[in-house]
Amino acid sequence: MTVLGVLAVAAAVAPLLARWWGRDAGWPLAAVFLVLAVVIAAQLPAVLDGEVVETSWPWIPAAGVNFALWLDGVGWLFAMLVLGVGALIMAYCARYFGRTSSQSRFYLLMGIFAVAMLGLVLADDLLLLFVFWELTSICSFFLIGGTSLKADKPAMRALLVTAGGGLALLSAVTLLAVRTGTTQLSAILADTSWLQDGWTGPLVAVFIIIAAFTKSAQVPFHFWLPGAMAASTPVSAYLHAAAMVKAGIYLLIRFTPAFSDLALWNVVLVTFGLATAIYGAVLALKEYDLKSLAAFSTVSQLGYLVAIIGIGTSYALAAAAIHTLAHALFKATLFMMVGVIDHQAHTRDIRELGGLRRSMPVSAVLTGLGAMSLAGLPPVLGFYSKEKLFAGFLEAGGPGWVAPLAGGAAVLAAILTFGYAARFWYYTFGGQPSDRSDVREAPASFLFPPAVTALAGLGLGLSVPALRPFAERVVADTGFGAQTVEIHLIPGLTPDVGMSALAILFGLGLFLSRERVDSLLHRRSAPTTGDAVFDRVHATSLAFGRRVGDLTRSAAPPVHIVPAVFVLGVLAAVAVWWGMPVVQPPEPVVRTWDWLVIAAITAAVLGTVLVRNRIAAVVLLGVVGVLLGVWFVLLGAIDVALTQITVEVLTVVVLVLVLRRLPVMFQRVGGVRIGLSAALALAAGGVAAVATFLLTGRRELSPVSEYLMTHSEEDTGGINVVNTILVDYRPLDTLGEVTVVGIAGVGILALLHTVRLRGREDPTPSHRRWSPIEDPWGNAIVIQVVGRVLAPVIIVLSLWMLLRGHNANGGGFIGALVAGAGLCLAHAAAPDPRRSLVLRIPGVAVITAGLALSVVTGLFGLLDGSFLRPLHADIGAYHFTSALVFDVGIYLAVIGTVVVALTRLGVPHPPTEPTREPPARSGTRGERDAQALPPTALDGHDPGNGERAPVRRGDSATEPGGEQ
Amino acid sequence: MTAAVLVGVLVAGAVFLIVQRGLVRIALGLIMLGHAANLVLLAAGGMYRREAPLIDQIAAVQTAADPLPQAFVLTAIVIAFGVTVYLVALAGAGTGDDTEESQ
Repeated sequence: MTVLGVLAVAAAVAPLLARWWGRDAGWPLAAVFLVLAVVIAAQLPAVLDGEVVETSWPWIPAAGVNFALWLDGVGWLFAMLVLGVGALIMAYCARYFGRTSSQSRFYLLMGIFAVAMLGLVLADDLLLLFVFWELTSICSFFLIGGTSLKADKPAMRALLVTAGGGLALLSAVTLLAVRTGTTQLSAILADTSWLQDGWTGPLVAVFIIIAAFTKSAQVPFHFWLPGAMAASTPVSAYLHAAAMVKAGIYLLIRFTPAFSDLALWNVVLVTFGLATAIYGAVLALKEYDLKSLAAFSTVSQLGYLVAIIGIGTSYALAAAAIHTLAHALFKATLFMMVGVIDHQAHTRDIRELGGLRRSMPVSAVLTGLGAMSLAGLPPVLGFYSKEKLFAGFLEAGGPGWVAPLAGGAAVLAAILTFGYAARFWYYTFGGQPSDRSDVREAPASFLFPPAVTALAGLGLGLSVPALRPFAERVVADTGFGAQTVEIHLIPGLTPDVGMSALAILFGLGLFLSRERVDSLLHRRSAPTTGDAVFDRVHATSLAFGRRVGDLTRSAAPPVHIVPAVFVLGVLAAVAVWWGMPVVQPPEPVVRTWDWLVIAAITAAVLGTVLVRNRIAAVVLLGVVGVLLGVWFVLLGAIDVALTQITVEVLTVVVLVLVLRRLPVMFQRVGGVRIGLSAALALAAGGVAAVATFLLTGRRELSPVSEYLMTHSEEDTGGINVVNTILVDYRPLDTLGEVTVVGIAGVGILALLHTVRLRGREDPTPSHRRWSPIEDPWGNAIVIQVVGRVLAPVIIVLSLWMLLRGHNANGGGFIGALVAGAGLCLAHAAAPDPRRSLVLRIPGVAVITAGLALSVVTGLFGLLDGSFLRPLHADIGAYHFTSALVFDVGIYLAVIGTVVVALTRLGVPHPPTEPTREPPARSGTRGERDAQALPPTALDGHDPGNGERAPVRRGDSATEPGGEQ
Repeated sequence: MTAAVLVGVLVAGAVFLIVQRGLVRIALGLIMLGHAANLVLLAAGGMYRREAPLIDQIAAVQTAADPLPQAFVLTAIVIAFGVTVYLVALAGAGTGDDTEESQ
């Protein structure tokens, strides 16, 4: 339906309008709303004839979900409320806000809300309805919370309560979708066979009720609505009186065809509805703030509506429709008038108001009309709607005592309503004039919108029989078929008229004895408030979440590893106990040489685990890696072996660079800990070994690998299949992996920018007595000479490895690692680590250039239809492929990371901020003291203070710097 | 069989190191665990075909080692290197427990 689209466009341009015209943006928006309301209104004849206007676009065809809208009698009523009241509120905003304030955000949110609300009442798809439902909650949250800093709590309460209800709605939607196989609302309501299905019906009913109760602020979820009054008055008038809180009512009316005969539905709605009606009215009677009074009044009136829907007869639904209309009109009037009064008199507290009828006569009349409608006085629409309500309550089913009880409760609520409605008007406009002589009548443009709603209430009251076809339509659309609904301007002497008279009479009495009532009410207060209970539940659930999180928040690795290993063991035991089919490998697997390598590796592993000297452990681990590389050669994985061995070299270099700064020995470990660790380690190793033995290597070459082996050359022109997999067949994987490596490099940079390396800064401490034998640089003369010669050769070698990768062992990864080894050698060969040539290479720039090159090369692949698809071209005798360029990108990215690691970890002070660092050799002691002094440096997370911050006071004592 | 034994040894060593205190030992343990994982991947391709997968040098497709796990392992090794370097930087930069007991 174009209406929704136009409204969405209007919402989208609303902030622009607000920027150009300031608050006056409300006028054009109101015009848009008005035009759309007229469009919807023009559908009335068709709707009254029982036609249903439908449109539908596919949205999620796979799930059978459509963007489906429909307009029947019920939808028409609510759509008119959304657009009609919306138009007036927008016009009202144009005068409500100050001339200068920027309202872009406000108008945007109001626009979005209107779209969501309209979509909600027109949606013919449950999922769509749910999305719009949530969107209204979110808009409400931002509109409440955006007003002031104090509004964050009420906004959060409103959001959590309504979103909680949203979850209930989602549950209902899911249940229905699964049970009926469709999400089309009209279809689900037309065929209610799912109700016969045992628990589905009642469960859906309960979820729908929870959703509606939270949205429409029924006891016990009512408390968020008064809190939501922190929002500005137009928001309260639109969202929290006329539109959003009616979403719950809409939902209940919508599902009436399904549930009107369900006893659970009737009992819960009537009980809670009437309780809310009475409770809200009592609280309204206590209130001094006009706006809060109106809010509690809304709670109470919504209770009426919920209860009457719960009655579930055709007459009750007619009453609900008429009262929904009446309530929207008079409550919008009252809220807008609250804003007017607040504006003109600068207070909303009725203890400071009074006697304003002289200075604000028009306001007095308009507010009076609204209050009359609220109180149920003839001839305003509220009188007729309330009379219908009473008649509806007398139709309550069940045992004989139910109807009188419901009727009695309704009358009681009405008496209270009369009381607070009278209070509302009298304390503001009646009584003795207060000393507020400065109060002036509001300008006509400000009073116009409330005047429209107030006069509409009066006009509809005087022409109330005209509502009859409309009420009959709603009744028909809620599953009762064609029925006549009697509406007379001058009602006969029926019980419901008597009840109305009774309510007015006692209400008058309540008003006249207002002082006694006031003192009585204020002597008693509820033992607790909904807000307090909610806050306690909220805090408790947060605390519970923290407690649960604590289970895994430890930084100690055993906490994370032991359970995993344990579960693994249990799973393995279960799998073995269950028994699984074990296939024999096609050929014998073991070669004699294998055992030798394995024995050597086992020895090295044992050594790594047992030694206490850190450097020794690292070197032994390097031995493990290199031996593994040897075994890879035996297994025919030459490329893997090359990678493994070069990585091992680089790893050892980087580890040693860092270990220089740490104590020589690992910490001592207790015997118990060793025992437990060893037991765990053996268990894990055993499981891993058995699993590897039973589960791997017991089949022929996989079809994928066979394809690769036979087609690689013709597909890619490459002979080295491993390399073609990396750069031709699965380049996206490779790109992702090389990105991880690059990020690690950038991560080191970021890390060491904020937290400086700790420990000894210089491997040549000056305090040692100098002798030629102990001179570290003298001893390194061999590596210096060899390095200077070999490093360039290795770099050239790496380029060769890179270029030949496609056709022989090598490639971007291997080339880069070889180059990295060369750079390590060059770095170690430099006479002073701070003057090493490696430091001149901009590591991060190289990483970025490499990744960019790979990605850009990949983009060219789009020419051939797919990102990263290699392109081929024969230039002379040489076969060129873009996969090689891609591989160059990988080469650069990996080299960049190696360079970053070397330059950041391998020098006393990282080179980029030399001016900020004191000289390394002279200032270590004093510098450290200086770090400990300023208290701001102790938190260690201020990036601007980064390189000074990280050393905490307590640590400086244990630092090796104390060895002087 | 051989792969299974080696995986067992490496996993046992790795788990022992990882449950110790101190980031350097944990880093060493993770490196070792990486070795084990790579080995499992290679073993999945089968240990009885052992010719390097270079198309012009193999006797037959059926005798060449499976190239797919090799490609996986190759990148895994490089990634493990990146992660290790970062972990080691953390160990060197942090005010962690590694230095509580100095020599």
